Amino acid sequence: MTHPLIKKSWLALLLVAPLLGACSKDNDDPQPDDDNEQITTVRYELTPVGGGTPVTVQYRDPDGDGGVAPVIGTLTLAAGKTYTGKLVVLDETKNPVVNTADEIKAEADEHIFFFEPSNVNLTISRTDKDAKGLELGLETRVVAGAANAATTTGTLKITLRHQPGTKNGTFAPGDTDVEVTFPTAVR
Amino acid sequence: MDFRFLAAVRAACALWLWLMAATAVAQASQQPSECTLSASGRVIDHESRQGLPGATVVVLETQQATPTDVAGNYHFHLCAGLYHLQVSYLGYSGEVAEVRVAEAVIRDFRLHPDAILLNSAVVQGQRTAAPTTQPTAVLAGQALQQTRGQALGEALQKLAGVTAIQTGPGIFKPMIHGLHSNRVTILNNGVRQEGQQWGVEHGPEIDPFIASRLTVVKGAASVRYGSDAIGGVVLVEPKPLRDSAGTGAELTLVGMSNNGLGAASGTLDGNVRRLPALSWRAQATLRRAGTMRTPDYYLKNSGFAERNFSGAVGWRKPTYGLDVFYSQFNTRIGILPASHAESKTDLLLAIARPEPLETTDFTYDIDRAYQQVRHDVAKLTGFVQTGAVGQLQLTLAQQTDFRDEYDKFRPRNDNLASLDKPELSYTNRTSTAELLWEHKPWHHFRGSVGLAGTYQHNRYADGSRQFIPYYTNIVGGAFWIEKWQQGAWLLEGGLRLDQRDLAVKRGDRDASGAFFVDRSRFRYTTPAASVGATYDPSAHFTFSLNTGLTRRAPAANERFSEGVHNGMFELGNDLVPGATPLAPETALNTGLTVNWHANPRFNGEVTVYQNRILGFIYQVPLTEPVQTVRGSHISWQYVQTDATFRGLDVSSSYQLAADWLVSAKGSVVRTRDTRADEWQILMPADRLETTLRYTWSHDRGRLTGRYAQAGVYAVARQTRVPANYEARDLLAPPAGYALLNAEVGTTVRWGRLPLAVSLAGSNLLNQRYRDYLNRYRYFSDEMGRNLSLRVHIPLELPHKRK
Repeated sequence: MTHPLIKKSWLALLLVAPLLGACSKDNDDPQPDDDNEQITTVRYELTPVGGGTPVTVQYRDPDGDGGVAPVIGTLTLAAGKTYTGKLVVLDETKNPVVNTADEIKAEADEHIFFFEPSNVNLTISRTDKDAKGLELGLETRVVAGAANAATTTGTLKITLRHQPGTKNGTFAPGDTDVEVTFPTAVR
Repeated sequence: MDFRFLAAVRAACALWLWLMAATAVAQASQQPSECTLSASGRVIDHESRQGLPGATVVVLETQQATPTDVAGNYHFHLCAGLYHLQVSYLGYSGEVAEVRVAEAVIRDFRLHPDAILLNSAVVQGQRTAAPTTQPTAVLAGQALQQTRGQALGEALQKLAGVTAIQTGPGIFKPMIHGLHSNRVTILNNGVRQEGQQWGVEHGPEIDPFIASRLTVVKGAASVRYGSDAIGGVVLVEPKPLRDSAGTGAELTLVGMSNNGLGAASGTLDGNVRRLPALSWRAQATLRRAGTMRTPDYYLKNSGFAERNFSGAVGWRKPTYGLDVFYSQFNTRIGILPASHAESKTDLLLAIARPEPLETTDFTYDIDRAYQQVRHDVAKLTGFVQTGAVGQLQLTLAQQTDFRDEYDKFRPRNDNLASLDKPELSYTNRTSTAELLWEHKPWHHFRGSVGLAGTYQHNRYADGSRQFIPYYTNIVGGAFWIEKWQQGAWLLEGGLRLDQRDLAVKRGDRDASGAFFVDRSRFRYTTPAASVGATYDPSAHFTFSLNTGLTRRAPAANERFSEGVHNGMFELGNDLVPGATPLAPETALNTGLTVNWHANPRFNGEVTVYQNRILGFIYQVPLTEPVQTVRGSHISWQYVQTDATFRGLDVSSSYQLAADWLVSAKGSVVRTRDTRADEWQILMPADRLETTLRYTWSHDRGRLTGRYAQAGVYAVARQTRVPANYEARDLLAPPAGYALLNAEVGTTVRWGRLPLAVSLAGSNLLNQRYRDYLNRYRYFSDEMGRNLSLRVHIPLELPHKRK
């Protein structure tokens, strides 16, 4: 019988076992999630029709989901004015920064923005369309109505719905890619 | 629904009281007498004519019972009269014979091997025998056969006290006495399964067809299996390698009507005639299911596809042996689109719908979202007799778990989309080693000392989303277990010490968006101790009491998970600003089991237990929801509290008449958060299953072992939930339900082949219901009526003749 030999080889194996695992690549570090699409920035740029200083409001969360809370601006529009609205959507975790709005435009038939003002006098209509004639919402026309009462502020909720193959102009199908709410007032 | 459940419970309780009373009366009516006529005989195998030691012989009239001796002999003393003797033996068809006792009589029994039991229930040389003083439950033989085609966690629900956390029709995670995931250890053929335990939607990556026996240790078994086993242990035990020359095969085929499930599993094993030490086994399984149907609609993307195989080669000599085993598990499981929400808005919309927005027709196709999982295990075991004093065993194993999760939609960017990469992609590699020395019995002591080590590292693919960080976990432990047995008493005690080192590397971004790596390291020493006793005063009763103390160090996910998963934001404790870092859990577990067995009529087992866990880690909603670009999320955080689990498992059967058997299984668990003084969330509701079974005592033509059974499985509404429940969960616990199930089966002689065939129907009334522990309950109903056809074909291949 070769007992001592067998025993020795086992002890050797026991010692080697953790090393087998250790040989594989485990001293590496996590890498940025570059293949993973994110949206860090949603900016709404409003230019008064007929000239004037453009108004801008933005949601920005440069570190992505979680971690440091996003910075959310306040939108103030002038009573009775009409604006041309344009949405800028970015992924600033990537280098170079990804212009997500361009990708949304390229896949216009899978996307639609919704604009929901609350306690503020705004009328917002989408002015761009996809190839099938359904509205998209990267470009809008915003009519500011009567001013808010002195100390009150309403909200504007902007939602991007991602609806591959199911877009029909309504909210229900698909998923939410963006849902940001800006404090908004007409002064 | 509730009323129906209550009625079922009441009926079952009434039946139970009646049975108890009947047994008491039966026992009281036994008169002591001076009857001394001898009734004896021998129980032998019909084919080999060899005596069967340990077979149970029962005089039905007097309820006297005795096991046969080493040669298969039994002996009774009886009064004159007419009696029925019942003989039963594992792996053989039982027999009942009428015996008239006027003078000393001799009656021999020749038992026929039972094909079904023989092929799956005879287990020898187990490496991972369960601790004897702990409550355990076993699924083997015909009971296991009746679950073929189901996932592991689904099959285990047959056992009292075992439930499952479920995600749709494909994912079942075993839950023992209210504990699951990180607190339940699964041993796959003696190797600790190291999958990706954190997610409740991560089912165990194990092919249940590999097992000829599933054993569940209910309660902490940390001394033997490591500190994680504070809830219990599941042992998946394959058929032992063949020890007699020849080649055998078995094939199991399963078809189900509801989701078009088809499963085929084959095993081929052999022992080489010229090299009797060499045995081998090969096994493979294909399992595929299409769209599941609730009573009213199809559940979109609920199919799954599984391909598994395993192989083993063993070299056995009396003084040493070596086994090599390899298995691979592959599955792709579709995820219900409704459950795959990206935002709170979507989630709430999906929950508000009475049925999912998107339904479908029947298909086997699996679209995004889906999980693609592969698990490889390679194992080497050996033993060598260390002289006359004991045996040394070594187990080395390497396993790798690949888990890819594909989101519902491809990336917007066409270049990225064309790569078709998973959004979450993890690789978890684990090496384990265990050295065990069992000493030979010494002054009534038997025992073993062991060393165990684990080296594990978890990674996600470059560029994919981080949810669980990189980590490396090193565990080293030593344990010592001794048993002392004399007469009716068995005492058992054990000690274990584990040293654990967890190093975590987490990718994060600072306020400006710059990427950096956050490193942290945790070291713990966790002790475990247990003592237990079993008292076995007669052949019919055993009492066991076991208590164990365990500590479990927090896992990486409990500290550092971060991100949106299925529409909800999950945050590890240590990432919550201002939170105290997690400390280990301490569990004190006590269980008392009473088992009465080998009685002619009434057999069963009752387990009562208490598990006190200090620093119990669980998830609660964050008071300040996390804000992302997709809106504010329902957010969960891991916290610690103190919890007490108390419960009761009952399983028993009553032989109403020679052919009729009624059985019942039930479990109850009560869990209190003692810090907040309220009920714990997400605990299994009370449940009871009663079955009435008729077994034909006579064969008919080619049909043997015919049986028919019908039963009701009833689950109550979970009412013991925390106060202000709306703030803790998205939906109140669903109503209770009661399902009608039935099954018929037989063994058909087809040429020389005994084919075991059965047809089972579940949810026969096609009831609409939802279960509290199914994560799909927010979105959809459970499976409607389902018929399952199972065929088991054992084959003995002829030897090659020279």
